[in-house]
Amino acid sequence: MPASFSRRAVLLGLGASGLAAGAPGRAAAQNAYANLEGTPWFYLTDAEARFLAAAGDVLIPEDDYPSASQVGVVDFIDLQLASPWGKGDGLYLKGPFPDGATNSQGYQMPYTPAELFRTAISRIEEAEGTALADLDAAGREDLITRLSEGEMDLGEDIGAAAFFQELHSIVNEGFFADPIYGGNKDYAAWDMIGFPGAHAYYLSFVDQNVPYEKPPMGIAHIPGTRRSASLGASAGAARPANRTEEG
Amino acid sequence: MAARTLPKTDVVIVGAGWTGLAVAKELSAEGQRCVILERGDYRHDAENFGGPEEHDELKYARHKGHMIDTPTKTLSFRNNTSETALPMRRLGSFLPGKGLGGAGIHWNGQLWRPLPSDLNMRTHYTERYGAEILDGMQVQDYGVSYEELEPHFDFFERVCGTAGQAGNVNGEQNDAGNIFEGPRSSEYPNPPMKHSPPQKIFRDTAASMGYHPFPMPSANVTAPYENPYGAQLHPCTYCGFCERFGCGYFAKADPIICIYDTFAEEDPIEIRYRSHVLRVEKSEDGQTATGVTYLDQNGEEVFQPADTVCLNSYALWNVHLMLVSGLGTPYDPETGEGTVGRNYAYQTIAAAGVFFNDEVWSNPFMGAGAMGMTIDDFNGDNFDHTDLGFVGGGYISANQTNGRPINYQPTPPGTPSWGAEWKQAVRENYLHHIGIVCHGSSMPVQGNYLDLDPTYTDDYGQPLLRMTFNFPENDRRMSEYLVGKAEEIARNMDNVRAVSTVNRAAEGDNYSIVPYQTTHNTGGAVMGTDPSTSVVNRYGQMWDHHNVFVFGACLFPQNLGYNPTGPLMGLAYWTIDALKNDYLQNPRPLMDA
Ligand SMILES: Cc1cc2nc3c(=O)[nH]c(=O)nc-3n(C[C@H](O)[C@H](O)[C@H](O)COP(=O)(O)OP(=O)(O)OC[C@H]3O[C@@H](n4cnc5c(N)ncnc54)[C@H](O)[C@@H]3O)c2cc1C
Repeated sequence: MPASFSRRAVLLGLGASGLAAGAPGRAAAQNAYANLEGTPWFYLTDAEARFLAAAGDVLIPEDDYPSASQVGVVDFIDLQLASPWGKGDGLYLKGPFPDGATNSQGYQMPYTPAELFRTAISRIEEAEGTALADLDAAGREDLITRLSEGEMDLGEDIGAAAFFQELHSIVNEGFFADPIYGGNKDYAAWDMIGFPGAHAYYLSFVDQNVPYEKPPMGIAHIPGTRRSASLGASAGAARPANRTEEG
Repeated sequence: MAARTLPKTDVVIVGAGWTGLAVAKELSAEGQRCVILERGDYRHDAENFGGPEEHDELKYARHKGHMIDTPTKTLSFRNNTSETALPMRRLGSFLPGKGLGGAGIHWNGQLWRPLPSDLNMRTHYTERYGAEILDGMQVQDYGVSYEELEPHFDFFERVCGTAGQAGNVNGEQNDAGNIFEGPRSSEYPNPPMKHSPPQKIFRDTAASMGYHPFPMPSANVTAPYENPYGAQLHPCTYCGFCERFGCGYFAKADPIICIYDTFAEEDPIEIRYRSHVLRVEKSEDGQTATGVTYLDQNGEEVFQPADTVCLNSYALWNVHLMLVSGLGTPYDPETGEGTVGRNYAYQTIAAAGVFFNDEVWSNPFMGAGAMGMTIDDFNGDNFDHTDLGFVGGGYISANQTNGRPINYQPTPPGTPSWGAEWKQAVRENYLHHIGIVCHGSSMPVQGNYLDLDPTYTDDYGQPLLRMTFNFPENDRRMSEYLVGKAEEIARNMDNVRAVSTVNRAAEGDNYSIVPYQTTHNTGGAVMGTDPSTSVVNRYGQMWDHHNVFVFGACLFPQNLGYNPTGPLMGLAYWTIDALKNDYLQNPRPLMDA
């Protein structure tokens, strides 16, 4: 199976209205999946990956700069959900989980992030009848809007707006985090805003009223390029297991 | 009772953060054998916080790699007693630390002193305005004065190599510094930080409006420096990875490089890691503590006897330890009686966001935790409170501290929070924005307190600490006032396209455990001169158990308009002084109850 697996094929299977709605050509040109292309999902199912690509591109659509899915956000989410973080190593999950929690009390869903995404996505797709990725651009926007406003019934233990927060947060993280985590490919997000990355020494710049011209350099910057090493095909398999051990 | 009892030590210290390491450093110098129990691991700036790996926003700022492990240890929270408290299932509003150095590793380094009138707040306000102005609030005096604490504030500023501009040295005022501050005995040890273009605009605008801007005092060091213990610090590089990160440049003063590294091999200090203190044990007559019981790194329960017990486990966990150990009397919000858990307070945060046109480059990724341009005109009682309807205040500061791309996505008012318009706004504004924070005080009221949760437990089977808190009306009015001032300054600045505001304590909004505000949890074990309203006396010594000494922001009767570490370390050195020069020669209550 790994030999024939193609992440790009899974996501491009979204069709003409699919990935980065309206501009599949650009998605292919970006080749965001090169590193992990031949690697099966660590956690996601194909259907979940398509949901996340479509949802991600509603939240961060393509314009002069790439969309969420184009910079590898689905790969990022897959790796995150497979990591200790995805398994809930940052969450207190002891019950009870009574009704009546207030917004001020924060996350009160009885799920790890990995479980939450699996459960919520399947409930959304079930409730809507049509997969998000099969809707046209307006349909996707409408669904995500209803989700964000809590106008969707995802069962007793998952608030639609609360799940939207998690979705929004992880898409945003994937877009802007250091490329070592699989998103923000070739520093696309950092280029977009002008963030120069992790190698930081600004003593003689900090008080100057001028743009800072140096291109971004991430944690695993490849010298002489505008690229970072990321969770490539070779490192990819090993990293999810130990990556966030200290975190 | 514990399975195993260890040989007795002179002093046992719970927690290896700023306060715990300072106690060990100073008491070991007196020949006291000190055992520090720290529930986290050993770590070090040189080995663990180096760039570029440390500059990982996902791991440290989002997933909070240096902070407490909420699955194991957390608290429960509700806004008021009619609600059911639920566990804080993950970190948000505040970010306590774990491991060598405690939260002092991932702090910002904004290093303040209280105003003289903050320390005798009840007396001061009563004299100036009449006692009614404090009605409905449990505002108290600290029981110790600015003059008594000044040498200790001064010493800690030198431990940190603090960078700043004095505004009052021995009564002599200097307009370049904070003219409102209490008299200090010496200049700051290092010159102030540099400032970014928006901060200079803030400074000039505030000055033109008649306010008194000055550089925020900073524990991000600005020159090569040796502290009084002999530690070496290096100048800050303005890397922008400060709050939530350790500093691999040795430029942000922290407890490891400033104190721990100066322990000598022959010092009688032993630090035991992965040692989680479960409770303080009391003598049969209950008058004193006999030591502490903890889970050692093998998960075995052991008893460490000691002559003196020091609680240095962070404000919240100090209170938790008292409650689970039966030290002092728990506070009852119905009757107002009891003291442990009473006067819990926080920080009241609001802010104005300033969006510049392309003429002004903030480059927000350049910055430092304490790179700020500040006015103190509306802090404490630096302004007339007659008819304002509130007491307290806060500093207002243009800070450039943390412009990292996931957490810092400023967009002008009216921008949606996702989609094409949002994306474009982030792109256009990221390099041209600064935030002006209003760092407001927090007054104690009867219904805000800490106790033990009846339902939820931690991994050790102990009840969680339960926090009941909402913003008091006084603080809502104060915050509204401050943010109005900040907004006015913002609107007067040049090249401004838009101004946004947030006010966490806005009328109608409840305090929420979710968005980060500050790790300035205060009170719960407050100091004072009256045992019916304080847990410890003016020396930080428990009224009920004279060999238990308490450190940290839990001592504050109400929270200041400043960050807590300068004030709480001043108090720590004051307590250490009382231990060294009095108590240890003749252990007894240092004040009559
Ligand atoms: C993000 C952030 C930014 C901050 N910025 C500033 C700032 O700019 N200016 C400022 O003044 N303050 C700031 N602070 C606050 C500052 O970090 C604290 O005031 C300071 O660290 C308190 O020191 P402490 O010794 O009381 O506790 P801590 O530093 O928290 O140390 C307590 C230690 O005790 C250990 N411990 C806890 N319970 C147990 C137990 N049961 N058994 C054994 N060990 C235990 C913990 O693991 C920890 O290591 C900031 C804090 C944070 C989190």
